[in-house]
Amino acid sequence: MVIVRRKELSLLEKLYLPEIARGLSITFRKLFEKKITRQYPEEPLPKDEVTRGQPRLVVKDDGNIACVSCGMCEIACPAYAITIDGGETDRAIEREPVHFEIDMLRCILCGFCEEACPKDAIFMSDELELADYSRGALIYDLAKLKRPKSALQKRIDYVYRLNNRWRKSPSTR
Amino acid sequence: MSTTQTFEYSRAMPPVDHDDPVQGETMMVNMGPQHPATHGVLRLVVRLDGETMEYIDPDVGFLHRGKEKTCESLGWHKFFPHTDRLDYVQPLLNNIAYAMACEKLAGITVPERGQVVRVLLMEVSRIAAHLIYIGTTSIDLGAVSNFFYSFEQRELIYSILDAYTGHRMNNTYVRIGGVYADVDENVERMLEKFLDEFPEKLQVLERLLTGNRIWYGRNRGVGLVSKENAMAWSLTGPNLRGSGVDWDLRKRQPYCGYETYDFDIPVGTVGDCYDRYLVRMEEMRQSCRIAKQALERLKQTRGAEVLAEDRKYVLPPKALVHRSMEELIFQFKVVTDLCLPVGEAYQAVESSKGELGFYVRSDGTSNPLRCHIRAPGLMNVQAIPLLGNGRLLSDLVAIIGSLDFVMGEVDR
Repeated sequence: MVIVRRKELSLLEKLYLPEIARGLSITFRKLFEKKITRQYPEEPLPKDEVTRGQPRLVVKDDGNIACVSCGMCEIACPAYAITIDGGETDRAIEREPVHFEIDMLRCILCGFCEEACPKDAIFMSDELELADYSRGALIYDLAKLKRPKSALQKRIDYVYRLNNRWRKSPSTR
Repeated sequence: MSTTQTFEYSRAMPPVDHDDPVQGETMMVNMGPQHPATHGVLRLVVRLDGETMEYIDPDVGFLHRGKEKTCESLGWHKFFPHTDRLDYVQPLLNNIAYAMACEKLAGITVPERGQVVRVLLMEVSRIAAHLIYIGTTSIDLGAVSNFFYSFEQRELIYSILDAYTGHRMNNTYVRIGGVYADVDENVERMLEKFLDEFPEKLQVLERLLTGNRIWYGRNRGVGLVSKENAMAWSLTGPNLRGSGVDWDLRKRQPYCGYETYDFDIPVGTVGDCYDRYLVRMEEMRQSCRIAKQALERLKQTRGAEVLAEDRKYVLPPKALVHRSMEELIFQFKVVTDLCLPVGEAYQAVESSKGELGFYVRSDGTSNPLRCHIRAPGLMNVQAIPLLGNGRLLSDLVAIIGSLDFVMGEVDR
């Protein structure tokens, strides 16, 4: 326990005018310090693989979507932003999404879908800006969500690095 | 009531006649719910006699979003983003408090390094929250430059959290069983740099305020709370310690290994706004001390686990999910049907506002039977009449500022 010291005002502080000068000296010194503000639209935000932007769907190198519409992200989403409509396909994987919608107005970018996905199909991109003229335009469908794997590769590697846990467990040996 | 109890409850509220706001010499005035000095949507019904406040009636609930009920319908894991939005100036601290309540219920032990990361995040969040207190309170009382200087420091903290979690606010990076990701060396370096420079920057803030005659005059002797009153009105955190009660959950009911850190609890003497300000200033320094120690421990335990190995409650690593059928089943189980055992648990942590407690009750299903949030801000708001009745209207701004509540948490 430490008792905070209540200081009485000194004579200089009571006079107030010298204090104004002292305060101004602090503010003037700030003029020459490095500015912390950013001219936002001209100077874009720094982005890297850590940035958790809007979720995007991975399109594999063979041109097919990685999603098998298992519905895990739909269940994991705390904002109920994801709607999946699955269908059958001739590929060996047998299932793929017919419709996959993310309501970007509901999405809170928590990253739970990325965590829940067992097929590496959905990842958080570094796309952050979200503006449009209508609500309908912000409900993203498959065409708007698809991204080639190469565009998301950095994030995929990063998530794998984060998820590299339980190294001592017997099943990893 | 025994004679030893000297605390007072607020004077009985005279019936308010809304059709006739002017009664005799007094007048009813609404402050808020969109008043800039009320730090959110708080409505204060003030009955004024000239400039003297006869009584204040805080009206809460404008930001009520039904968080407790939402928890019951969402389930254990999906409630995490909602805890971010309770006290939105310290999202990680809320995350940790909720996670700890769930862990207590399920009997999960968080790995050593996970606890250290949590302590580090909690202390950094505390500094960020107190910086907001300094900034908003000083701008309410007319010190505009201080607002910018404190928000500049807060901005640095948020950039560090951005580099760690990917978000500046609403981080959602704590999980049942630990934290989602390890603090990497880049973040460690950023934190180290910040913690080294911060005490100096804090001194600049302090030099602008502590000996400032205006700050002195508007805070000193304003909003007095005696020791007994503070306890009777269940104030916690800096508001309680400002009144001279040595009560800090980090010392009294240690969690996350706080007992192994070396720090002091600042305690005030008088219990006015000025004391609460001094306590918060000192608390930031102590938080800095704890964070430095935690950072030192992080360096020693590099490479250790931060998330408990418990396949019932924690998602297995992604690489394993692709390789093994069992892990895939666990992945599905945890995402779709995370059930905590039957029982109840209450876990309180010392947030920047006071005792932040989560009471969770489970009937063994994937949805909680009840989740109650003991928000310190609500008690702080309740104490406004105690502090303000009979004082001048201009003191109300100082009192609201010094009680330091966030309406997201009060109304939840």
